Amino acid sequence: MANFFPKWTNWIPLKLVIIVGVLGAAVSGGVWYYFTPKFTRVGYMPTQPVPFSHTIHVEQLGMDCRYCHSFVEVASHSNVPSTQTCMACHTQISATSPKLETVRESWKTGRPVNWVRIDKLPDYSYFNHAVHVNRGVSCYSCHDEINAMTAVWQDQPQSMSWCLDCHRAPENFLRPPAEIFNMNWVPAAGENQRDIGMKFKDAWEVNPPVTCGGCHR
Amino acid sequence: MKNIVNHPPREDRPNIWRSLRELENDPEFAKHLESEFPRGADTYEASGLSKRDFLKLMGASIALAGMTGCRRPEAHLVPFTKGVEWTVPGKFLYYATAMPTRTGALPLIASTSDGRPTKLEGNPLHPFSNGGTDAFAQAAILDLYDPHRSRTITDSGRATDAAAFDAFLASVAQGGGKGVAFLAEKKSSPTRERLRGLLEENFPGMIWAEYEPLGDGEAAAAAAAAFGPGVRLLPKFERADIVVALDSDFLNPAESGVGFAAGFSARRNPDQLAAPMNRLYAVENHYTLTGGMADHRLRCKVADIGSFARRLGAVIAAKLNDGDLAATVGAYPDSGADLDAAWIAACADDLLAIPGRSLVLTGPQTPAQVQIIALAINKALGNLGATLVGVTDDAPPAATISDLAMAIAAGAVKTLFILGGNPAYNAPANLDFSSLLAKVPDVVRLGLFEDETSKLARWHVPAAHFLEFWGDARATDGTLTAIQPMILPLWGGLSELDILSKLLGGGSVDGPALVRETFAKLAPAAIVADAGGIDLVWNTFLRIGFLPGSAFPPAALDFARGAAAQLANSRPAAAKDALELVFLQSSSVDDGRYANNSWLLETPDFVTKVTWDNAVLVSPATAKALGIKANNFGKFEEIAEKLGNEIDYDLVADIVEISDGKSTIEAAAIVAPGHADNSLSLALGYGRKAVSALMDNVGFDAYPLRSSESPRFTSGVTLKVTGRDYPLAQTQEHRSMEGRDLVREGTVDRYHENPAFAQTMGMDSHIPPNISLFTHPPFTSKEQWGMTVDLNTCTGCNACVVACQAENNVPVVGKEQVRKNRDMAWIRIDRYFAGEADDPEMLAQTIMCQHCENAPCETVCPVNATVHSEDGLNLMAYNRCIGTRYCANNCPWKVRRFNYFDYNQRPLDELYWGPLAKKGMADSLKMAKNPNVTVRMRGVMEKCTFCIQRIEEAKIGRLVSAGPTPASETPVNVFKVACQQACPNDSLVFGDIADPESRVARLRQSERGYTMFKYVNASPRVTYLARIKNPNPKMPGADKVGMANGAPHGAHGASHESHSSPNSHGTATAAPTSPEAHEH
Repeated sequence: MANFFPKWTNWIPLKLVIIVGVLGAAVSGGVWYYFTPKFTRVGYMPTQPVPFSHTIHVEQLGMDCRYCHSFVEVASHSNVPSTQTCMACHTQISATSPKLETVRESWKTGRPVNWVRIDKLPDYSYFNHAVHVNRGVSCYSCHDEINAMTAVWQDQPQSMSWCLDCHRAPENFLRPPAEIFNMNWVPAAGENQRDIGMKFKDAWEVNPPVTCGGCHR
Repeated sequence: MKNIVNHPPREDRPNIWRSLRELENDPEFAKHLESEFPRGADTYEASGLSKRDFLKLMGASIALAGMTGCRRPEAHLVPFTKGVEWTVPGKFLYYATAMPTRTGALPLIASTSDGRPTKLEGNPLHPFSNGGTDAFAQAAILDLYDPHRSRTITDSGRATDAAAFDAFLASVAQGGGKGVAFLAEKKSSPTRERLRGLLEENFPGMIWAEYEPLGDGEAAAAAAAAFGPGVRLLPKFERADIVVALDSDFLNPAESGVGFAAGFSARRNPDQLAAPMNRLYAVENHYTLTGGMADHRLRCKVADIGSFARRLGAVIAAKLNDGDLAATVGAYPDSGADLDAAWIAACADDLLAIPGRSLVLTGPQTPAQVQIIALAINKALGNLGATLVGVTDDAPPAATISDLAMAIAAGAVKTLFILGGNPAYNAPANLDFSSLLAKVPDVVRLGLFEDETSKLARWHVPAAHFLEFWGDARATDGTLTAIQPMILPLWGGLSELDILSKLLGGGSVDGPALVRETFAKLAPAAIVADAGGIDLVWNTFLRIGFLPGSAFPPAALDFARGAAAQLANSRPAAAKDALELVFLQSSSVDDGRYANNSWLLETPDFVTKVTWDNAVLVSPATAKALGIKANNFGKFEEIAEKLGNEIDYDLVADIVEISDGKSTIEAAAIVAPGHADNSLSLALGYGRKAVSALMDNVGFDAYPLRSSESPRFTSGVTLKVTGRDYPLAQTQEHRSMEGRDLVREGTVDRYHENPAFAQTMGMDSHIPPNISLFTHPPFTSKEQWGMTVDLNTCTGCNACVVACQAENNVPVVGKEQVRKNRDMAWIRIDRYFAGEADDPEMLAQTIMCQHCENAPCETVCPVNATVHSEDGLNLMAYNRCIGTRYCANNCPWKVRRFNYFDYNQRPLDELYWGPLAKKGMADSLKMAKNPNVTVRMRGVMEKCTFCIQRIEEAKIGRLVSAGPTPASETPVNVFKVACQQACPNDSLVFGDIADPESRVARLRQSERGYTMFKYVNASPRVTYLARIKNPNPKMPGADKVGMANGAPHGAHGASHESHSSPNSHGTATAAPTSPEAHEH
């Protein structure tokens, strides 16, 4: 009987298996790597109802984080300022700026400003701002140079492994208590972050939880 | 040699049992126990899909669903426009308030989160509270946010607005009040009394009636006859060595109020130095919490309680030569009942031995002619002024609902305001109140729900919940207590004070003005002068929730012999052998007011452990005599056939018809161990129709058989078995743990002989030293959490169960799911009976996750979703759980709960509709959730976390206050876990066991302490303190008291005498004595 199929076709099944395998691996690998918060979340920069600029308020005017985020040292949430806080200045400054129309409208009607949330942990994770900022972790560690952001974006993946990087080695992030809200702080010449961090970690007995119950309740 | 520990073999007739089927050792029951999640574990029932088909389908839909998950939904941060004083977003604020009750008020501390009240706790500062609560107070949060609450004012069924109603009120006010009547709930609110007084001046001839289906009218009548009007009696349990409870469930906080029995548990400690442990006698027809705690319990029909009291009184009167008592008992017509004379004599002797240090109590609805005998006995024993003190209640008298009914029948009522309550449903049947309402032209109904009464009223006005209005109340002892609103009325509800004030022409009331006006009148001048002004006193009043020193003044207790004898003779004796029906307060719906509260409906009854229904309780002997199918005894095949070939292991009960000659009701009947013969008991408040979907097909209405003359019971009823069946959802057989001496008790003598007796009971006396083959993480934390449960003071009152539900966002699963053993409660109360079915002992045991150091659940989890923490908690990471349920299978305590459905998001009647079911929960219910606890969804295992959210908050608080200083130098803030905080008897103690000074560490060292399943070597963090009973040695049957685990017999209990050799469950070299041992 004649050979209907040329000899090279014998390799087709094997080639198929290999190709499918390679493709499958590529797809899984791609999902595994790229479908993580590092790629899906970092850079999220929605349009806010008010074009608020941290650059103007923090860098140019030198305002402290806690003027607006007033409860960050006592509460789990770092609160977004109430309209009242905005209007404390903006009845005088830029009182007629069209950019602030939404704020004035809110003040007049009593309806709040709906800021779009950027940094959001899953519902089953419980993060507490107060314990971090009181124990030597700066805003900078999670929000990066937010002081220089004209519009805020998410800068860090805020994934579980990212949290654990610090919880396992807090010395890489701990700062002098006075510098928590100073986004521009860098270790002085001749010092390095690790040595400073180790000093504080020992002195303050910093021992962040790495069990599930630390964050998941 | 290999160590194999066999479980003890199941006994032929176990001494401790939880259901009659277990007692009978039914083979089907044994089969039922072997599966962890009995029915339908491998099929997806309703749709008929097998697990394999299901996975195929789900695989496809997940692949598709995944495509939609790539985009991030936009979420918003919504700040206040103006900052609110004291409010810090995300932090709880605590306010003192109180829940008005028919006995006064239950003082509370409300936690509010961003303006929403989410949890209520007792107010420990209040003089008539010990910081505990009851199940009703814990569930009040759900009532507040109940989406079924009425929202609109209706006039003759049509929606209208507040202005129209105000105009109506103005027209009534202008009419001079002719034919105006009020029917209100019993409350002791000074402001309401003040407004009522003002209104009576404006409206001469106005009728003010009060009605409570479960009120204490009978008790008040007896006290008034004996000591004069307005006298209220307060027992002082801390001074009583002996308590005799006649038809009284005083240990049930729902009956008597939380502060009422606070002194009892303090005197229940066998180790107290100054005074002996108290002794409790209970005489009752059905098992109550009090009966369960009693050292001696006598089954007695309610109709015969009077005869019991009479004979007890006669013995005491003869010994003491007390004329008052002799006259009172002499006047009472004895029913001639068959009562144990030896029991009565022993009880009387015991009482006579300690004059002035005992208490004889009756229940609030016990007929006044019986209560008067109890008062006379107390008087003869010298208890008045010693253990039973009188105070003068200054509340003005109110008409009864019978008076009102007569006025309506006479046509004297033109406008009737029904403020709360639900008389169309729960008024005494002989008044036929529903038809009377039709005779009143204008009925105004203020109610939380559009219910039976609203349908018969012209106006329905939505009522404000007590967390929505300003008010005040006097606690049972008279202490003036603040009721502060926590939130504005969600749906525009009005309070009764608003309506009264509008009728007075006061317009709408804003804020606390009315209450403050009353307060200014009531605050003693000396206190005001002392504090430096009324403002400061008022502020303190609101801050601590009460006005110190405002209790009722003491009253002189002079026993009026003539009036007492007259009252004792006011009614003839009930026929001796007549069948009686006793009306009970429901542990879930009270008198029906909580019929829409699913937390309470799903909380099992204290004793029957039936959820979602009530049922007629009947003793085993009477059930046999009446032909009621002993619902549990080996009829499985028949039942299975009826239900379509599927063996339904849960309870199927006979439906019976009960008739008093005029009315007939139908109800399911279940056999209740320890119930009195010839007596039936049925809880009130169920069987409501056409109010909300939740109330449909829930239980049976007992009100049609209840009359105003005899609110406690109806004698001479007849019962007929219909032959139809009714499915009941009972949790008592779920997760059974047979034959292992899990609950342990002894007598006070045995305890003093061998204080550590509980540690060597059952197998614990002869287990070999155990070593663990697997390791847990090292317990490196400074704090090590643990708990103790004192079985000696735990009554099983359910407060902790509902508190846990409120704190931990535990979902409700519905009756059908409960029948499949899928109830989700993280803490449960196991109820055991010990002894024979007629007259057993009852023991309650609170079970939650034991946080084993060698946790069996952790080793079997394939994905490390349940792991151990450094501070000794058995953690559950929901987001890791893939739902294999291996952990639940491996848990000896059966405390793990699996979310078979997305109970929070799906309507309970659409659970099986899959994607077709509605999704999402009502906005108002979202507000009720604790923001610090994850709301779990389908496919996730969950269980008690020891309130990890409270632990973490406390630890975070410590770190925040430590700041940049060593953390170890700041102590963790004192905090309580939810069940512990709710417990009215202080039975649960939680804390740091690593701190030898902590209370929990000291209690764990108690010699009464034991852990369950010691031979499994799980090393649990929960220690139980054995129950100690204090029997009277002269009492008949005293030798059986405290012997649930068998008599002391060498090192271990008699129940294990059948094991010929200690090796039988020691090592594999010895053959097990019973073939059954292999099976376990």
